[in-house]
Amino acid sequence: MVNLFVMIRVMLGALFIFSGFMKLTSPYQNFLYVVQSYEILMSPFDGWVARLFPWLEFFIGIFLVLGLWLEWALYGTLIMCTVFIVVVGQAMMRQLPITECGCFGEKFSLPLPTMLVVDNLVWILTAVSLMKLPKTSQRSLDQYFVSGHS
Amino acid sequence: MSKLSKPQLTALIIILGVAVILVVNWYKESLISAFQKGISARAKGQLNAPIQIIEYIDFQCPACARGSKFLKKCFQKYSDKFYLEVKNYPLAMHPHSFLSARYAQCAAKQKKFWPFHDLIIDRQDQWKNLANAVPAFQKIAQDSQMDIKNLEVCLQDKKIEETIVAEKEDGASRGVQSTPTYFINGKIVVGYKLLEEELVNLFKQGGYGELVCYD
Repeated sequence: MVNLFVMIRVMLGALFIFSGFMKLTSPYQNFLYVVQSYEILMSPFDGWVARLFPWLEFFIGIFLVLGLWLEWALYGTLIMCTVFIVVVGQAMMRQLPITECGCFGEKFSLPLPTMLVVDNLVWILTAVSLMKLPKTSQRSLDQYFVSGHS
Repeated sequence: MSKLSKPQLTALIIILGVAVILVVNWYKESLISAFQKGISARAKGQLNAPIQIIEYIDFQCPACARGSKFLKKCFQKYSDKFYLEVKNYPLAMHPHSFLSARYAQCAAKQKKFWPFHDLIIDRQDQWKNLANAVPAFQKIAQDSQMDIKNLEVCLQDKKIEETIVAEKEDGASRGVQSTPTYFINGKIVVGYKLLEEELVNLFKQGGYGELVCYD
């Protein structure tokens, strides 16, 4: 029988891989525009975030799917989701016109309230996966290395 | 894999991940052809100007209006420094953007693109929230001295739609995801803020003095 926690782990990982991949395979200026639209970071920090963040997303996603350094990857996911929630929340409070002009790429543009719901859902799923780490770790490379050394 | 340690496997995965991204980006870039300049009725400025701008626009996008007004001021002040070509990138999220692109393309066919462009941008606040923007576009067409009979025929022309769709697809293949997106001397620049920064930098680098494109 398929372990639900493993499924959640793989789905979260796939989501992060997809999100990171889409950003990394399009000009970084597109994501820089998104970062700037939240009006939090000054130059040159916005540029650093725009360059670094997609790589973090991509590799955290890969590590989640493979179950490698799983606990760290889950903590990383939790931190990223917390950042998303804070950033999106402040944008909503300040009523920034983020949904204008395809700021998240035209095909994946979501209204801010929907994004906030998705971010919270991912946060909860990640927290539950961390709490149930032994179950989440099944069928993972971490488990392979542990069993290989025992 | 049994001979690999966990850190070695981690390093291998990171190297493979980076390699995949690099190969995909290299492949995508290899598919992009150079812009063909000077063939559009939606271009202005000198072909050999030092600052070459290709702009992907959605007429209903507020940031595009801001960028267009800024560029217009720059052109008025430094006409010998710029070449600008406007391309359509109507976003699905804006209900009037495709229709406005149709009107603009028809204006280009009548060699009235720039008067139409300037008016539709200036009056964006008046039509962007309307349920039916057709009367507003008709008025802009009239005020741009367009031939209204020809316009009616042109608006029904399937080729106009095909041109807009093809232009948008071409933009997407070059990495355009949102509007306004500019290619300034070949470098992609997204949004009004970066447009301004890039032009200020180019003016400094070119020794043209300080760029001031405001009233």
